[in-house]
Amino acid sequence: MSLLNNDSHRGMEIHHYPLLAYALVPLTALVLQAWLPRVIGNYIWFDLPLVVTVYFALGRRNPIQGTIMGAAMGLFEDALSHRAIGINGIAKTLAGFLAASVGIRIEVDNQAVRLLLNFSFSVLASLVYLVVYRFLLGLALNWSWLTELFRAIGNSLIGLVLFPMLDRFRMKE
Amino acid sequence: MESFLARYRNLVVLLVVLVAQIAGLAVQVRRTGNGPNTDKSDMGGVRLIRLWANAVISPPEQLIHASKLGALGLWTNYLDLRHVREQNKDLQKTIDRLRLEQASLLEDARQGQRLQAMLGFQQSYMYSTVAAQVYGSSGTDRSHIFYIDKGSSDGLKPDMAVITGDGIVGKVRDVFPHSAQILAVNDSTSGAGVILENTRIRGILRGDREGRLEIVGLMADQRIQPGEHILTAGGDLIFPRGLPVGSVARVVRDPERDGFIDIMVNSSAHLDRLDEVLVITSTQPRFPPQSQQDLAESEAEKGAEAQALKDQMKASQIMAEKLPGLVDPKLPADQQPLHDSTPPSPNLHPPQPMHPDRFTPGSAVMPTPSAATSPATQAVPVAPPHREATTPTPSDKPQAAPQRNP
Repeated sequence: MSLLNNDSHRGMEIHHYPLLAYALVPLTALVLQAWLPRVIGNYIWFDLPLVVTVYFALGRRNPIQGTIMGAAMGLFEDALSHRAIGINGIAKTLAGFLAASVGIRIEVDNQAVRLLLNFSFSVLASLVYLVVYRFLLGLALNWSWLTELFRAIGNSLIGLVLFPMLDRFRMKE
Repeated sequence: MESFLARYRNLVVLLVVLVAQIAGLAVQVRRTGNGPNTDKSDMGGVRLIRLWANAVISPPEQLIHASKLGALGLWTNYLDLRHVREQNKDLQKTIDRLRLEQASLLEDARQGQRLQAMLGFQQSYMYSTVAAQVYGSSGTDRSHIFYIDKGSSDGLKPDMAVITGDGIVGKVRDVFPHSAQILAVNDSTSGAGVILENTRIRGILRGDREGRLEIVGLMADQRIQPGEHILTAGGDLIFPRGLPVGSVARVVRDPERDGFIDIMVNSSAHLDRLDEVLVITSTQPRFPPQSQQDLAESEAEKGAEAQALKDQMKASQIMAEKLPGLVDPKLPADQQPLHDSTPPSPNLHPPQPMHPDRFTPGSAVMPTPSAATSPATQAVPVAPPHREATTPTPSDKPQAAPQRNP
């Protein structure tokens, strides 16, 4: 419960990063997401743009920035696929907004919390994708919750490694 | 109002962004008579977003791919395997080319067995192709898309077939100046007309959720056995006919319809390990010089035979004209004399004699001794009775007897 008390809420700082990090880290995530499946084959059990979105949203603790970053990352992912543009955009917009909103309320430097949050937001993004595709647009979609579960686990594990690496880019106040 | 916006600024921004994206989706997803459809050509704005994304992502991706290739090349050269690899590459190219030719020849041979060779010979399986390197993907298993390093500047256009020496791979979807987006055949929105090699059963190939190939909605048929080869049928206007697709892995019942089956397909091409592909830019015949020469000779021989046949027909026509009794040009073919199969009619009338005498049929009399001695017994000429038949019968009797003088 110490994660949620008022003292820790007040003490939570907003992390700042160099401008280059804001540009290069998402770009690298998008490029790697597009390139790595060529190397590892069909086992695409990760979503690097989502992990990066969650990281910056949690660190910046700004829902508007989380929203915009999520939307941008999702739209880029959609543009690289042949599906309609906006499905991933909506999913990651919501994930970015909620991650920033959660970041305002709880301390997110704890690795266990990051693991849980990454897992939760991955499942949420998959759920939103499914809802938008199948119910909002009324399109047929082959779906496997097992694959989505593996993807959520993969994102959580990648977050465990990637978040401390990205923490090094933080600017000291 | 201002305080409301300031207070709920975050939510307002979220709603604006979500509504904008939902509106964009609503514009993209069009409902047609066959249901919702997004896999047709994009509108201008959507295509522009894809172009931007491609412009941002492709250069670093190609750089990484080139770096990987460079590092690999350095490593292999260090091991002094350069010449072996070059030879291997050349041999691989030769094998790919020979496989294409083999597919062509096999299909031509079968076509000949079905007495279609004369019509199908011009449909060559030697195509104009552009070789391209695969450097990226869509990044998600929900969309089986990959990117190649050739685009509109190399003559690529949407809906061109993409193949390897092993089999078909996909089709060109979006074309950018120096890259192109390829929709793999194992995507669930993809489709290709295929035919089973032995049973000649046709179907539509598509991908399932796991990216495996399947042919769905076929009538149950005992003849379909695992291992049977599958070829492109050529009816989809994308893939030329006779290219290898894969083989039958197993046959399963269609879970939704009784009496129907689905065929799970082992793909000939390694769809998850694509490095180099060929884009078929033209399906016009492109024969090698030797084949062109053979074809020209064949055409010349065929022309000479046709001319000889024509001359022969002309000679027989002239002969027919010289024999008018055999052929009456005024009568239809079924009424020609040679075709008359009716028996000769018995009711024919003999020509009437102008000066009947005793030798005229029907005027004969039995001679008597008195008549023979008396000059008065000269027979009075009597016109012979009209007779129906020329052949006298025993019942026939003379109707006028010679008058005797008392």
